[in-house]
Order: sequence, then structure tokens, then C-alpha cells
Amino acid sequence: MFSKKKKNVTTNEFNQIVEGTSLTKEAWKRLKKNKMAILGLIVVIIYALIAICADMFPLYPYDEVVTEHQHLKPSFSKTSGELMLEKKMQDLYYNAWKQGRLVVGEENDAMIKNWIANDKTNKVWSYLLEAGEAQRAAGAFEWSKSDLSAIEKVEDKIQNDVMVTINGLYKNVNGKNTNLKKLNYNEIADIYASMLGLDRAVLDTSVEKELKMALVNEIKSKDSEISTEDATAQAEIDFANFSEKDFETKAKANVYGKIETQVKRDALKTVKANLKENPSQTFPYEEHQELSYGISADILATKTHDRRYYLGTDYLGRDMLSRIVYGSRVSIGIGLVGTITSILIGILVGSLAGYIGGRVDYYLMRFVDVMYGLPYMLLVIIMMAIFDRSIINLFIALALISWLTIARMVRGQIMSLKNQEYVEAARSMGASTARIITRHMIPNSLSIIIVYSTIRIPNFIMQESFLSFLGLGVQAPYASWGSLIGDAVSSMTLYPWKLIYPSLTMVIFLFAMNFLGDGLRDAFDPQSKNQL
Amino acid sequence: MADEKKVILKVKDLYQHFPISNGGIFKKQIGAIRAVDGISFDVYEGEILGIVGESGCGKSTTIRSIAQLHKPTGGEVIFNDVDLCKADNRTLLKERRQIQMIFQDPYSSLDPRMTVANIIAEPLEIYNARGLLDHKWTKEEIDNRVEELMDKVGINIAFKNRYPHEFSGGQKQRVGIARALALNPKIILADEPVSALDVSIQAQVLNLIQDLQQELGITFLFIAHDLAVIQHISDRVVVMYLGKIMEISEANELYKNPCHPYTEALLSAAPVPDPEIEKTRKRIVLEGDVPSPDKERFGCYFYDRCPKKMEYCKNHIPPMFDISENHKCACWHYDKEDHSKEA
Ligand SMILES: Nc1ncnc2c1ncn2[C@@H]1O[C@H](COP(=O)(O)OP(=O)(O)OP(=O)(O)O)[C@@H](O)[C@H]1O
Ligand SMILES: [Mg+2]
Repeated sequence: MFSKKKKNVTTNEFNQIVEGTSLTKEAWKRLKKNKMAILGLIVVIIYALIAICADMFPLYPYDEVVTEHQHLKPSFSKTSGELMLEKKMQDLYYNAWKQGRLVVGEENDAMIKNWIANDKTNKVWSYLLEAGEAQRAAGAFEWSKSDLSAIEKVEDKIQNDVMVTINGLYKNVNGKNTNLKKLNYNEIADIYASMLGLDRAVLDTSVEKELKMALVNEIKSKDSEISTEDATAQAEIDFANFSEKDFETKAKANVYGKIETQVKRDALKTVKANLKENPSQTFPYEEHQELSYGISADILATKTHDRRYYLGTDYLGRDMLSRIVYGSRVSIGIGLVGTITSILIGILVGSLAGYIGGRVDYYLMRFVDVMYGLPYMLLVIIMMAIFDRSIINLFIALALISWLTIARMVRGQIMSLKNQEYVEAARSMGASTARIITRHMIPNSLSIIIVYSTIRIPNFIMQESFLSFLGLGVQAPYASWGSLIGDAVSSMTLYPWKLIYPSLTMVIFLFAMNFLGDGLRDAFDPQSKNQL
Repeated sequence: MADEKKVILKVKDLYQHFPISNGGIFKKQIGAIRAVDGISFDVYEGEILGIVGESGCGKSTTIRSIAQLHKPTGGEVIFNDVDLCKADNRTLLKERRQIQMIFQDPYSSLDPRMTVANIIAEPLEIYNARGLLDHKWTKEEIDNRVEELMDKVGINIAFKNRYPHEFSGGQKQRVGIARALALNPKIILADEPVSALDVSIQAQVLNLIQDLQQELGITFLFIAHDLAVIQHISDRVVVMYLGKIMEISEANELYKNPCHPYTEALLSAAPVPDPEIEKTRKRIVLEGDVPSPDKERFGCYFYDRCPKKMEYCKNHIPPMFDISENHKCACWHYDKEDHSKEA
């Protein structure tokens, strides 16, 4: 009788099929009511977006070293040039004060001496700068001649230093521009040889030599006790084992880098010459330059000291903002990938143990127990010390050990689900094991796994940061929250911004993640005792 | 009457033992729980066969063994001339299509993450995917069948996309029944289908089961704790104790004329709705608890607690004695010989 009915023909007054609210929907509803969790979710999403889209923001490269910009303090209003000048002036005022040319009164002298004794250098500098400027404005203090020339030197630098960034290199063939990156090693090497008037054979041997040298360094960095001879021999073997493709990419990168340096140097000369001719030239500007040796380049010319560092710079003059953003990418990435890996391993082991049970369960769980007993962090540290300290190894080391808890949890969940009547019902209907697992077990354990993962991610990030802090984690030039903080602690009093901003970034993220995790747990498990 | 009835399911000497291991690495078996210890009975087409007994006497285990959710330790379950215990997987699936289950707890027997439509359609989908239905069903056909079933068990079709937690206990049990009906089974095994429900809802669900039985001619194996429920619904009753059948009888006959001392005790414990009778009712109180089913017995299983025990019962397991045409009882008191003097 119903076969004639069309789908969705119904029976209630409103003539509609009533939409059910699934448990997931209900959980989402409950989560939406939890303000802290939603706030956490928003913060996490913002972090994720920033980390993913980092390349799209107008950030300075996180590994670009500008030696003159060491330890500039964060500032929104001042350019790096102004900050440099200010730093120079602080220095000069301090000297003047020491030489007695800058007089601030006996009481203040005592205060400054007290500051110096307590390592409060920053206070001394800012106080003297302020006092000096005030006295100079009032005419009570005059720069000495050497002071003036020093200041002039800095000002000159600020006016005339320019930087060139290469955005693309092209070879002009028959009126058509081809990007050098698209050419192969052979073609690039030809270009470079003709640029310098070198013989191709000479270039090839020197490239080979440099590649070998790089290998030697790499081997030595992994094993500090190896002798140079052994390392060289090993490098020879490694080099001989290079596949065609390996060699091609490495050699190409090598020569491309050389061309880029050369072009940069030449382009810089042109830009400088232009500036001399035309001092009112506005910066930055972009330009397509034709270079003498048949190569053209897209360049970006900037005044070095026009840069702004909103979060300051580090000891190599790298932009902290950029380092924090890219560090977030590394930290969040490791947290995410590590958690996913550990969860996959955990689910596999846990569900095997839980579903098969019996002896398999016994041995797997005893193994987990034994692993639990081992000092966890120590193991990771040993692993990081033995193996190459790359990001990949770092997260492998973390993931290999952190699946234990999730394996136990999934096992418990599967065991309890296995005895649920609906699983039994499915079995009585002849459902296959695969169907029971995919249709009943997984959907029913997913919520617990999601909750656990969100709680797990901050943990992972903490561990990664801890290792990086110890110098065992992420290696330069890459940054992570932990390595940024680790770099900063030693000079905490002098350059507090190096510590504050990465810590703040990390703390906010961890808080957000924890709020979200707690919120999710409460949402999925409304009976949970930890509710607000 | 029994001669006209067709035997649809035959249980012969069914054993279900659960091994007890010592908990060590090698799981050495040190004993067994004899949950079902050699029972035989026939189920006739179209009847409702009730199973009663104290908690832990092996009622659920019996029907699970019949449904092959546990592989029985020994014995036969014959359906359609096939011994389900020895059948290979595919035959088993094909035959088992006719034997479906309804579970005790409507809250946990429905997957909380599936809509009721999906839950009811699940058996259809499983059999469809395995190619065990008459033809390959389309999604449409399955949908129509689900709506038909929902209508049959009295759930508003408009609710088909709802989730189990949005239903009351009685409605959930109806969903469970609809699911059991999906494959047009000949037999439904119902493990205390109403005991988790409120009394008023119980009656509704019981009536539904009765209606279905009359309308579709489905045979039910129906477990219940509640003797009143059993009396109300079943045609015949099996009384179990410690994994053994004590008495099988027509329902009314059993209530009028209980033979086994255990049945007498059970019936005497049930309250009677008439206050006058209730006041004068004589209760037989059994001594002690149900013994643990973990050791082998060589005498009557009820010996320890029997108020009428004889020395002879201790070492002789009673067979089923015929009391009348539809009434059998496993008690030495009903043997033609008198054993009261023997040891
Ligand atoms: N999977 C199992 N493993 C081990 N022992 C079991 C298992 N299932 C049941 N038992 C045991 O078998 C005996 C019979 O259990 P069963 O569930 O059949 O009792 P029941 O008559 O259904 O009781 P109730 O009325 O309480 O549901 C009990 O002693 C129980 O502990
Ligand atoms: Mg039971």
C-alpha cells in the first residue's frame, strides 16, 4: 500500500518529515552555548588561518638576516632606521654621561648606578636618552664633534643603504622570457659559465666539489666525532650514489643560487647608482632589469632601514613577527601531524587489542604497559640525540611514544562497544566485521577520539617546545615557539620582546586549545562531571 | 492439537558452556560456566513460547545459542532441516534470515548514531549487499519497506529521520520490533522485550507483539521475568533452572496445575491481582540462593533447594516425564516408579 506513495509524503499536520537531531548536532548545540569553547575555537581557527596563509602576508622572510638590525625593539611608529639612530644616540648619551659631559644630578647618578648594578640596562638607556634629548632641546647639552660624525654616519647609512630582492630570473631567448627555474642544470650551468666567462668543465668540477663539501658538512653535523677523512670518504660514497635526479636538483640549486647572488650584486649596483643620480627616488619600487649578460630579473628595491619591525628583531636582525608566524606554522604543524600519527597508531593497536581480545590483547597491552614504564621524555631526547635533528624526526619521535594512551582508550571504548546490544543486534543480522567496525564502532568512538585529540594537541606542542627549548628540536633557520623562547631566555632582561611575544602567542594558543577541548568533552558527554 | 502443529524449530540436547580461564598468559581453562546444560524442546509454528526462570538460569543464553550468537558447545538447533550449529556461514545466514531477535534494552539495542530509518533498514541492507534477498532491492524499495514497517508497528512515518534518543522507551522498542520484522522472519526471539519498559507501555508492546503474531503468523520465543506477562501472552511455557528445563506445559495448564516444585515456588511468589486470594496465598519460600552454574551436576539440578527432595534425586538426573499431552516435567516424583525409598 505504501509502494504507491511518493517519497516524503507524510502524515503529520505540517506535512513534513521531521528532521532528527543527531548526537553530533546536539553536541554542536551544546558547544555553541559554551562561550569559552567557542572563543577557543575562533582563536584556534585564526591561528590556523594565519599559519596556513603565512606566505600570503607581506612579511619579511623569516630567515633573512640584516646584521645591522640586531635586537631592534618592537615599534609601530618608528622605522628600523630611526630605531638604529635612537640606539646610537643612547650609546652616545651613555658615553657622555660616563665622561661627565651629560649631567643629571647626584640623586639620578645614584639611581643609574643602582640600575647598572642590577643589570637594568634598558632603564639606563631610556632614561639617559630622555634626559639627554630634553637637555639638548633646552640647550644645556651639545654633541661633541666625534658624536656628530658618528650620528651623521648613521644618518648617511639610513639614507643610502638599499636592498634588492630578486623575485624572478629570466633568460631572454628569441624575444621570449623563460624563467631560469624551468631550465635544467645543463642550461643553467651554460648561462653561468658564459656570465663569468668560465669554462663549462671548470664550473662542473667546482659545483661537484661544493656538493661534496656540503655532504661532508652534513655528515659532520650528524656525528661530531667522525674525522674529516672519514667524512670525506663517506661523502664520496654518498655522492657516487646520487641518483640522476638528486644530482640534477642539487646542482641546479647550487648554480641557481650563484647566479642569483651575482645578479643581486649587479642589480644593487644599478639601484645605488640610480639613487645617487636621483636622491629623491621613492622606495620601495619594483623593476624589471635587463642585465648585461642576456639575463633579466624582476627586482624589488627597498631601503634597508625603512623596514618596520612590529615585534622587534632577534640577534641576527631577523624579523620576530615573521619568525613567530612561521614558528607557529611549525609548532601547530608538528602538534597536528604528531597527534594524527599517534592517533592512527593508537586506533590501530587499540582496536586490534579490543576487537580481537584474548592473547593478542594481552601481549599488546603488556607492551603498552612496558612502554608506559619507560621515562617518556628521556626516550624522545635520546632518539633526537641519536638521529638527525630534522622536523620529521622530531615528530616521529614524539608520535612513536605518544600513541600509548590513545591505544588504551580506544581499546576500552571498543571493548565496551563490542558488548553493546546494538552491535550484538547487528551481528545477529549477519553484519560482517568490517560493517560492524565502520558503521557502528567507528562512528560511536569518533567523538571520544576527537575530544582526546584536541586535548592532545597542546600537549604535543608543549613537548615539541620543550625539546626545541633544549635545542634538540627544530633547528635553525627554522623557528618554532619553543626554539624562539629558548633563544630568548638568555638575554631576557635586555631584549624582553624576544621572549614575551613568542610566549604570549604560545600561551594564547594553548589556552584556546584547552578551552576548546574541555568544551568538546562536555558537549559530547553531557553527563561529564567537569561541566561549568 | 499437538499433532496438527508443525514443528518449526527443534532444539536437541543443547549445551552452552563458557570457559573459565585462570587469567594467566596462556589462559589455561580451569572450568566452565554451564549456562545451558543440555536442553531439548520443540517450537511449533505460529505459537508464542514463553521461557521463565530466575535471573542467571540461562534464558538469554539459550536464545543466543539458537541465534548462533554464541557457537553452542554441543547439541543441535534444527530449522528447516538444517542444523544451524554445523551449517557453514552462507547457509547459516540464509536460514537465519528467518530467525530475528528483539532485545531487552531498547536504549542500548539501537545505534545512537543512526536514524531510525537506517536502523530498520539495516538488516535489509546487509542481506541486500550479500545478495541474499530475492532480488537486488533499490533504495526506493528499501525506503518503502521501512515506511511500511514503521506503519505496522505504529510509529509515525514523519519521524523516520529522527535518532533513537528522540524517542520514548516504548517507541524505541517498536523500532526494535520493526527491525526484527524487516526480513519477514518466521521466528522472532524476544529477550525480555518489555522488562525495561513502564507497566502501561508494557501492555501496549505486548499487544503489538500479539497482533503481529496473529496477523503475520510469526512464531515467538519470548523470555520474561514476569509470570503475569508470560501467562498473558504465551501459548506454552518453558520453565528453566540452572541451565536445565524443569517443566514444559501449555500456559493455562501450567498455571492451573504446576507440577515441578520449582514451578510451584515460582508461581507462589507471584502476586495475585485479587486481594482476597492474595491475603490467603501460601508462599513457598526457597532456601538459599541459586547455586553457581560452574560445576558439573549428577543429580537433579534443583536438588539443593528443593522442598520435596528425596535421597534418590541427589544422584539421578530426572528425564522429562509426561504429565499430560502437552505437559512435561523433570521431577522424579512423576515417574511411574516410586523412588522415595531409594538412595
Ligand atoms: N558471555 C558469557 N561468558 C561467560 N559467562 C556468561 C556469558 N553469558 C552468560 N554467562 C553466564 O551464564 C549464566 C546464564 O546467563 P543468562 O544471561 O543466560 O541468564 P538469564 O537467564 O538471561 O538471566 P536474566 O534473567 O538476568 O537475564 C549466568 O551465570 C552468566 O553469568
Ligand atoms: Mg537475560
